Amino acid sequence: MSTYVFRRLLGLVPVLFGISLLVFSIVRMVPGDPAQIMLGQRATPEALERLRETLHLNDPLFFNTQAVAEGGSPLDLFDSQYFNFVGDVMRGNLGTSIFSLIPVRDSLSRRFPATLELTLIAMLFALLVGIPAGVVAALRRGTMLDTAVMIGAVSGVSFPVFWLAIILIYIFAVNLQWLPPSGRLDASTQFDPITGLYVLDGFLRLRFDVVWDALRHLILPAIALGSIPLAIVVRMTRSSMLEVLSQDYVRTANAKGLARSIVVNKHALRNALLPVVTVIGLSFGSLLSGAILTETVFSWPGIGRWVYDAIAARDYPIIQGGVLFVAFIFVIVNLLVDLSYALIDPRIQYS
Amino acid sequence: MKKLLLAVLALSLFGLTSAQTLTYARSGLPVTLDSSDSTDGNSLTVSYQIVENLVQYELGSTELAPGLATEWSANEDSTQWTFNLREGVAFHDGTPFNAEAVKFNLDRWNDPASEYHFADGGKTYTAWGWVFGGPVGEGVLESVEVVDEYTVQLNMTGPVGLVPSMVAASYFGLDSPTAVMEAGAAYGTPGVGAVGTGPFTFAEWVEGERVTLEANADYWNGAPGIATLIFRGISDPTARLAELQAGSVDIAVDLGPDDLSVVEDDPNLVRVPGPSLNIGYLALHQANTPLEDVRVRQAIAHAIDWEAIVDAFYGELGEVATQHIPRAFDWARAGDDSVAGYEYDPERAQELLAEAGFADGFESELWYMPVSRPYFPNPEPIAAAMATYLADIGINVELATEDWGVYLDNYDTGKYPMYMLGWSPDYGDPDNYLYTFFGPSALDSLGWDDPAVIDLLNQAREVTGQDARGDLYSQVNQAVYDQVAQLPVAHNSVLYAANTRVQNWTPSPLGSTEQLFLITVEE
Repeated sequence: MSTYVFRRLLGLVPVLFGISLLVFSIVRMVPGDPAQIMLGQRATPEALERLRETLHLNDPLFFNTQAVAEGGSPLDLFDSQYFNFVGDVMRGNLGTSIFSLIPVRDSLSRRFPATLELTLIAMLFALLVGIPAGVVAALRRGTMLDTAVMIGAVSGVSFPVFWLAIILIYIFAVNLQWLPPSGRLDASTQFDPITGLYVLDGFLRLRFDVVWDALRHLILPAIALGSIPLAIVVRMTRSSMLEVLSQDYVRTANAKGLARSIVVNKHALRNALLPVVTVIGLSFGSLLSGAILTETVFSWPGIGRWVYDAIAARDYPIIQGGVLFVAFIFVIVNLLVDLSYALIDPRIQYS
Repeated sequence: MKKLLLAVLALSLFGLTSAQTLTYARSGLPVTLDSSDSTDGNSLTVSYQIVENLVQYELGSTELAPGLATEWSANEDSTQWTFNLREGVAFHDGTPFNAEAVKFNLDRWNDPASEYHFADGGKTYTAWGWVFGGPVGEGVLESVEVVDEYTVQLNMTGPVGLVPSMVAASYFGLDSPTAVMEAGAAYGTPGVGAVGTGPFTFAEWVEGERVTLEANADYWNGAPGIATLIFRGISDPTARLAELQAGSVDIAVDLGPDDLSVVEDDPNLVRVPGPSLNIGYLALHQANTPLEDVRVRQAIAHAIDWEAIVDAFYGELGEVATQHIPRAFDWARAGDDSVAGYEYDPERAQELLAEAGFADGFESELWYMPVSRPYFPNPEPIAAAMATYLADIGINVELATEDWGVYLDNYDTGKYPMYMLGWSPDYGDPDNYLYTFFGPSALDSLGWDDPAVIDLLNQAREVTGQDARGDLYSQVNQAVYDQVAQLPVAHNSVLYAANTRVQNWTPSPLGSTEQLFLITVEE
């Protein structure tokens, strides 16, 4: 098992290298550069050139043949934008934002927990509602309840997330004023986070007002974001459950006279969950890296919106650092999902 | 345990905010708090509360007023400007404010050789380039002299009449030399904030969430009316308005024209007049046939019903622009009898087209921006409306757009025959508009070159005195009108709204130069 894990982690290296190369190149192929964005309408050719020099945008991209030709050592060949970037990353330096001069790593350590917390709660919502709904739909297959659940599921997938988000805000924040419309905490809440997951940090610091404040702010965005995986979880659970219920061992269990609930919960559900776990893993990855729309509407300070804005501004370090980090997380999440199969199904073993 | 939780719940529901906290929601949080390195209103509005300029503005006006300088004067040919500084003022960290501090800041912005320029650390000072033309050697500021402890002298490379306006721009807040030396290129980032002489001190910046400032009780112009000022960035206008309606923010700005009715219907909210000194225009690039013919341009000017467009897309918040500077600069506008805008007259438009040899019209392109701008809140429908009017007289335009960054790259290459663009001012002077549009860069952005106009604009930069300058600018406006160099569309008053408990708020017509310390919040 541990060799398996090690091999998978080793596989991270080529993946990250490949992604670093891709994102570095692609973002520079797009027309426009940060100098143009910075100067906007006030750009004169001289100002643009001067700014490009300051920002090192004219430095060699991949191979610095000029430095070698001018009598430098062969190693100078790698004194280029790309290799300097790679070298920095290997030392843990993801660069600094061109516009704000905030180190990318600092921003990530603030923003990633925000997206993570939102994703976890959204996923939790999707599972807590989705799995029972899927089970019920499977058990009551063909009835009105089944149809109702499936309609609900299809709606969840069909509603645009930002539309749902705005509707939720309008109903619950503006009209009923039960929940706050945006942000992670009330503006007046003074709080020093530890991990960046505010609910957890609230418990760790015994600040239950913060726990409550954070949860209140999480409810609407989690529902909006969770509506996508919810739908998938419901459908997946239902169809997986139906398949499992028709298996021989379930018929055996029923024939043995076991109570319905034990048959479902102890025997059938566990097996039905395997495909659902896969779906969770895939959804998790896309939720983590995205959530842009939800983050925008709720002004949630996560990584999705941050990287998206950086793309529009051509803030290369943020784009590169952000994408690399997301790729890294995605690989880790998939690894964890694969490992969890072994937990759920004892027949599965890794070597 | 349950009772404890319930009690905590009850307390937090009532809110633990003090009556002396003002929460101000903008479309985003600052990018940096180093005013000289920032270019956007979200950054500058916040930094303007912490750092101050030599010259400020009268409340709610574009008239200059003493700031950290109490008086200023120029020598005879405006090549030397002397500023007398306010005495007895200190930065928030205790560093005394004096001529040395002023020189420190001006040098660090103007001189790449300065130890504190930090270009290697990523500082770019782009706004310095815009306003002063560039760093020393390229721009108009040659050197700064400390005459005595409270007198500083700016030596310009030539006659420059605008220096007080230039240093009043919100980019040039004076930072504490001690703080800058200590923080280096990290000055202005969330861990450091800014240190100035202003009415509020920097307390905290939680990235992506909020910036918290605290009142400076020793502020030279009087202690602020509020104890704590919190800035929030809410990018979605619907959510921003929702927060205002829910009462969790006190002020929300940059709302859309559609939100006006919501604000007016809500008894807890009040509309506050926001800055309206922007301008949206339709540019006609003369490198594209047949736009080089003035009759064709005149035809376009008369073919579009400008009032109907502003009415439809701006509602109460917009005003038809008849000249390229807002009415606040009345002294510089050409007399309204001669420049009253272009009347909507499609028949005359068709006659002009026929005269120019295009009785059957022609085909062209009309470019609009893909993002909402303060002067064009909804570019696409406005472009579509203009296209419809043009089609009525036979000019068939294809609507086009591309990525905003690319748009800004391309508009001054002649690639766009007709394009929408606009402007929000850097500082409160007609020069910032007219020189930008019709100065030397007009050749690139409009394909138009009128040496007489450029001469007038240069003269207006050198002389002082509103009468003389006003005369020069009104000639410029007249020439622009006669030659249809560019078509002004609208001035948009950005919608600002506040909770009724907010008192004494007078926004600045320029935008980021807000004097928030005068606000009080009723309970």
